[in-house]
Amino acid sequence: MSRALSFREAVLLVARREFIQRARDRSFFVSTAITIGIIVLVIVFPKALNFGADEYTVAYVGPDGPAIQAVAEDQAELSDLSLVAVDVADAEQAEQMVLAGDLNAYLDADSVVVERELAPPLRAVLENAHSSVAGTRALTDAGLDPEQVASALDTAELETVTLDPAADERITRGTIAFIGALVLYGQLLGYGFWVALGVVEEKSSRVVEVLLSAIPARALLAGKVLGIGVLGLAQLFAIAAVSVAAAALVGSIAFEASMLQPILLVLGWFVLGYIAYACLSAAAAARVSRQEELQNATTPLTMLAMVSFFASFFVFFNTSGTGPLVVSVIPPVSALAMPIRMARGDAALWDIGLALVLMLGLIAALIVVSGRVYEGAVLRMGAKVPLAEAWRSGRRVRS
Amino acid sequence: MLELDRLSKRYGDVVALDDLSLTVRPGQMYGFVGTNGAGKTTAMRIVLGVLDADAGEVRWQGQRLGPGVRREFGYMPEERGLYPKMRLLEQLVFLARLRGTAEPVATRSARALLDRFGLAERAGDRVEQLSLGNQQRVQLAAALVHDPTVLVLDEPFSGLDPVGVDSMATILRERVDTGAALVFSSHQLDLVERLCDAVGIIRAGRLVADGTVAELRGVTSSRRFRVQVGAAPGWPDQLAAAVRGATVLDHGRDDGPALFELPAGTDDQVLLAAAQRLGAVHQFGTAEPTLVELFREVVSEEPESDDAEAAA
Repeated sequence: MSRALSFREAVLLVARREFIQRARDRSFFVSTAITIGIIVLVIVFPKALNFGADEYTVAYVGPDGPAIQAVAEDQAELSDLSLVAVDVADAEQAEQMVLAGDLNAYLDADSVVVERELAPPLRAVLENAHSSVAGTRALTDAGLDPEQVASALDTAELETVTLDPAADERITRGTIAFIGALVLYGQLLGYGFWVALGVVEEKSSRVVEVLLSAIPARALLAGKVLGIGVLGLAQLFAIAAVSVAAAALVGSIAFEASMLQPILLVLGWFVLGYIAYACLSAAAAARVSRQEELQNATTPLTMLAMVSFFASFFVFFNTSGTGPLVVSVIPPVSALAMPIRMARGDAALWDIGLALVLMLGLIAALIVVSGRVYEGAVLRMGAKVPLAEAWRSGRRVRS
Repeated sequence: MLELDRLSKRYGDVVALDDLSLTVRPGQMYGFVGTNGAGKTTAMRIVLGVLDADAGEVRWQGQRLGPGVRREFGYMPEERGLYPKMRLLEQLVFLARLRGTAEPVATRSARALLDRFGLAERAGDRVEQLSLGNQQRVQLAAALVHDPTVLVLDEPFSGLDPVGVDSMATILRERVDTGAALVFSSHQLDLVERLCDAVGIIRAGRLVADGTVAELRGVTSSRRFRVQVGAAPGWPDQLAAAVRGATVLDHGRDDGPALFELPAGTDDQVLLAAAQRLGAVHQFGTAEPTLVELFREVVSEEPESDDAEAAA
């Protein structure tokens, strides 16, 4: 009818409960929705308001108007500037529109008319176009074949030789990883806190006593960390999918398979970072008996996460030198910092290896230490259990 | 049977259990009584493996307890303990599965118990939405849901109204009658006396009395008599003075009965004759001590019963 659960079965059962109960929690949906909302806003908003892209409305009056317009628009495209041509009946109407603010400028014969001043990028484009048209006309007037003039001018183009063709992509990947690290910071804090909250909830409701009469403390701890971790990973996947889709949709980034790399890196490091933070959170939380004391008990963890947070800024803005290298190999800071360097391609193989070894070493140590502190403290109700006492009461293995 | 064999446990300098041994047989309801801090909860936690004893061991059917054996145990801790935000049915199924019950069996059993406790319609409610009495019923259901053969309940009746006590007692009696061994602690001694097949009294971590209520009476005193004489006030002392070795335990009120104790070997007819010489005897009979009286007597033998206060 019933048989003893194996450690693995107990862990999975606890993990399943955590996953289902937390996923059903309203605050989970709210926090997911808010995070996705913020990211979509950050991606879509600038595009909608046309931040960054310079756009000018210009009217072309006079016989050379169409020719100048054609050259100006070609030039504008090269300068990453958008020109909108507006049709006007005559110079008078154009002037009215400039004064009303409907036009940035209009061109009439050899002059450009603006309300107050001509924006430098627009000046460059218009001057170029004007001089090119004027030059062509002068050459034609001098008796040259207009087509010869045009082809002669066309060949006088600079050819670009790119020495680092992937640089753009690397920077984009680094930026994605950086944004990922920022999200990760929130998630690490959030999920670490969930683990802590869950531990205290079980302790303050005393259900822990019933649970521990059935399964070992470590199975309970491992199940909790696993269940909340899987939920966190699922949430991050959802956030990443929505963000990439939104970015691709509005064209902030050209969606390419290579862009998945930084996202996967961030998710991979999230798993490692989460395990470390979750172990620390659980041990800290097991020492207190009431939710009111939790904030206090987890303060050192919050500080640690803040340090990681600033480290990721540091690494994002400093591409070379030993500073970023050191920061990105020290666990658990490496969980936020390393993905950025890896995505950018700054990290040498041995940096990555070292960071991984150190991180895994820390996790192994934390599992031992936190498991024991948790075990030693989780049944002790009342005042906060001193760390040394929790360590002494915890057993290495429950028989 | 469930054997606690020479269990000892200390918390720092405080002795919580001192060489505690007791035995509970299948089909037996065992009442565990003692003052606050005497070590009842500590003993129960050790039986359930939530705590480790410093010395001694617990056996079930001759086998030393490990996780495999303990899955047959049901536990209701004193402080209670359920997830406040989890739904009743899910919670019961989860707890049953933690003890190795297969999911379909667990679901069936949980539904049956909720039905039995009149909570079937609330299966989808969260625990925190229930009244305290109902929460306690769910707590008991949680201890029963995996169909345990050993039940360890810490203060299962505290906080229940008399009707609640009766219905819980009925359910527990059914389990015991089908062969389960039940240990429960309680401060409601009248209840223990009424329900239990055997009683253990613990003081300062030691078992100071153990057996059926009748046996306990036999151990402490079968030589008590309730006597009522129609005589002037002060007659109880005169009567005690008239019989060698007799003492007054309780003078009674006004002209009500008084309680006397005779040393072993003294014929009760001597007491009766002496009473008749004082006046008309309206009442004369043996007085069986209640469990409350036995308890007071046993626990107050040595006035150092507060030693293990922190052990609660």
